[in-house]
Amino acid sequence: MHTEATPAQADVSELDLVKQCQAGDTEAFDQLMGRYRTRVFGMIYNMVHNEQDAWDLAQESFLKAWKSIGRFRGQSSFYTWIYRIVTNVTIDWLRKKQVKGSGAEFDDAIQLKDIDPASRTVPKADALPHQRMEQREIRTRIDDAIAQLSPEHRAVILMKEIEDMQYHEIAEALGCSIGTVMSRLFYARKKLQNLLRDLYENV
Amino acid sequence: MKTFEEKWTAWLDGELSGDELAEFEASLPDKTAAEAEKRDAHKLGAFLKEQLQGRAMGNEEFFHHQLRERIAGDARAALVPERAGAKPALWPIGRLVWVGATSLAIFCVCTFFVMREKGPADQSQYLTQILNARVDPAVSPNATISMFESGEGKVTVLWVDGLQSLPSEYATK
Repeated sequence: MHTEATPAQADVSELDLVKQCQAGDTEAFDQLMGRYRTRVFGMIYNMVHNEQDAWDLAQESFLKAWKSIGRFRGQSSFYTWIYRIVTNVTIDWLRKKQVKGSGAEFDDAIQLKDIDPASRTVPKADALPHQRMEQREIRTRIDDAIAQLSPEHRAVILMKEIEDMQYHEIAEALGCSIGTVMSRLFYARKKLQNLLRDLYENV
Repeated sequence: MKTFEEKWTAWLDGELSGDELAEFEASLPDKTAAEAEKRDAHKLGAFLKEQLQGRAMGNEEFFHHQLRERIAGDARAALVPERAGAKPALWPIGRLVWVGATSLAIFCVCTFFVMREKGPADQSQYLTQILNARVDPAVSPNATISMFESGEGKVTVLWVDGLQSLPSEYATK
């Protein structure tokens, strides 16, 4: 996990902040949001692969969290609770999108093809154009591979591998059993190993 | 009872221990291949973390601002239906009671005056019937009788026109 505060500070002040939020303090909610914003956005982005959609879904998730924070009883950690909201919102969105079958999912990837590798629009000293191009291609391959997983399998693999969450935390966040989490993790790993082996063996 | 998939995942993540670990490893047909797959899975995990972690959100301040606006807007929207909903629920009942009470009062007043006026009218009608009965149409076919009542309701004036002859019982003696 990579929170902005240390775990001890986060635990103590987080509960206070939650109580203040429950009393209607929007400033306290602002602080809580500041702690999880980056992780929540990153998690959603890795599931939907589009910055604007990730932005909107992060907004939707935090708004839902604000509306239902009165029902948070502290039986689980706050970040597990907020991840539950985030995954529910994102999985619902992905399912609706799947049903509608609207448009290309890889909006970012499509745009990247049109970008001149030598463009100076966003200058960066740490990577050469061809390196950036290569990086984008890798990213596109990963996004393509993740997109082949069901929304639930995406959530499980991202929570485990990126967020370093424990099985029980993932189970709480997804509202399923630990066995289901482990089983989904098994299939998600197998699938990604098959799709990405050449990349992670060579990069 | 864990399934093979669950045990395999737990083994990859180092979550098996003691008898469970020994039992699982003993059940593997090719431990070398399994160990290679374990390393492969760890490589995948490290690769994903390296590539996907730390996706920064652009324009964080605007994100906060937009969310604050949405929260405030949501709070306002929650208040408006409450206020709007309260009026239609309460006012018609109050109005209904007042309108009903006023109507009843007006009805009572009107009934009182109508009933007070009714006595002399009944009486006049009674007198007219008597007079009509007393005028013989064969003797006086064009006779008309009009009746006026005084404001006090105590005096009734009969106006008789076209009478050829008075009935015998009204003849002046």
